[in-house]
Amino acid sequence: MMGGTKRDHDGRSRSPPPASPFMPIFETFRNELDEHHDRRERIIKASRDVTAASKKMIFSLQRVKKVRGELPERINKEVQGHFNTIVTTLESISGDLQGINAWRYRRQITGGLQEFIEAATFKHYLETQTLLTVDAAAAAVPGGVQLTEDDYLLGIFDLVGEMMRFAITTMATSGELPGNTADSEDGREISESNILSDLRELRTQFAALDTTTSSGNGLGRDVEKKLEVMNTCVEKVENAVYGLIIRGRERPKGWMPDLGDDSGRGREPVESY
Amino acid sequence: MAEPVPAQMIDPAIFEQLQAKIDEDSQVREDIREILQTLERQGRTVQSILSRAHATRSQNLSPVVEAAENAIREQVGTINKLAEVASKYPYYKYNFMWTRDIQNACFAILLCGWLGGFNAPGNQFQQGRLLTIEETGAILNVPVNLKDRDAFHLAIEEYLHALISLIEELARLAVNSVTLGDYERPPQISRFVKDLHAGFQILNLKNDALRRRSDAIKYSIKKIEDVVYDLSLRNLLPVQ
Repeated sequence: MMGGTKRDHDGRSRSPPPASPFMPIFETFRNELDEHHDRRERIIKASRDVTAASKKMIFSLQRVKKVRGELPERINKEVQGHFNTIVTTLESISGDLQGINAWRYRRQITGGLQEFIEAATFKHYLETQTLLTVDAAAAAVPGGVQLTEDDYLLGIFDLVGEMMRFAITTMATSGELPGNTADSEDGREISESNILSDLRELRTQFAALDTTTSSGNGLGRDVEKKLEVMNTCVEKVENAVYGLIIRGRERPKGWMPDLGDDSGRGREPVESY
Repeated sequence: MAEPVPAQMIDPAIFEQLQAKIDEDSQVREDIREILQTLERQGRTVQSILSRAHATRSQNLSPVVEAAENAIREQVGTINKLAEVASKYPYYKYNFMWTRDIQNACFAILLCGWLGGFNAPGNQFQQGRLLTIEETGAILNVPVNLKDRDAFHLAIEEYLHALISLIEELARLAVNSVTLGDYERPPQISRFVKDLHAGFQILNLKNDALRRRSDAIKYSIKKIEDVVYDLSLRNLLPVQ
């Protein structure tokens, strides 16, 4: 272990200072803590990878043109590819999140899970025009990783942002309000159910959610911030639909509505929380 | 159009379920907080008894230690009640609520043990002892460093935090021992704390509270060394 023996001025070897009697205790602690930090780091990295793959999934899904119905094959293939990445990533850390450790690393994994829920519920919405339930969302998480209600709730908030983006883009490019089943001559008629009514329903449900009792902890704070962002999102769609109705079919196809400052960075306020 | 209109975007059960979960969570926190209030009060009592050690000569310590032991036993009762409630839920979900109180309780036990408390029956009254995490867990009547099942326990990090508190308290005791005319205790404390510090130095701590506090151990060591130096300069150290 040691390179040589320490010697004093006269060249006699000096005895090393007596080792601390507590060393064996601390060696055990060191091993335990090292294991813990390694696990923690693996999970942080996995969470980042899941976030990145989920974002890519969402980008692909944003190219879909209508709600309800199967995804176009090319997009579906891309989405599946990113989903497979998520499966591999989560399966690789599945063992680190078992038993007592499922909650130990909650804060490290929650970011990735929220983003995944955002992607999974967005896909589900595009396919069925319904909201994926908590249980179905939990079952959709690969690798046996536990999904909490908080992860789900915060993921759904971000779903609103994606629905907004999808609604605005679709209206701008095709002049159709997604989910609108009314088919009138001038395009001014709107069916009872469409993406705007869905967004409003979400807004109503979120507004009714009572989180005051958990205002002291993380969820209460997050919810408050996200509620504001969500309300802005719904309003943007409301304004866009207003434009669609008032101008009807007089608006040339492909004309982009002026979104002001948000046109380029529209996603940011949603993503940054 | 051809597609049937979906009945409803949101199954109302979804938000009912979310609300139920939020309410359940608040109730659990409420229950835990209630127990913690008692725990905090008992913790203050223990600390106030132990603080008498700074003004009590070594040979007169046993009544102080005995009183502290009794107060700690009362506290342990509350901790066991907490353990019972907390073990119904994932340990790490609510751990943040009580970890400070458990660290404090653990520190009180370590200090009491160092002062000669929690001796095995029949053993001589003995100062300067380190209670291991297992011994501390046994006094608290809770498991330690649990890995194979999800229940209340004393975590390694909590024990380490308590050790750092012990070091800080012993630095203060070194100074006050001199005031009491006890010149034997500072070198004893010095050896004990240095041994602990050597242990802390082999830990790979990340940038967290434990790391910050363990970085500050050196200031306690310096404080104790200054006391020993002052004594040795004046030939006041007892001959070994």
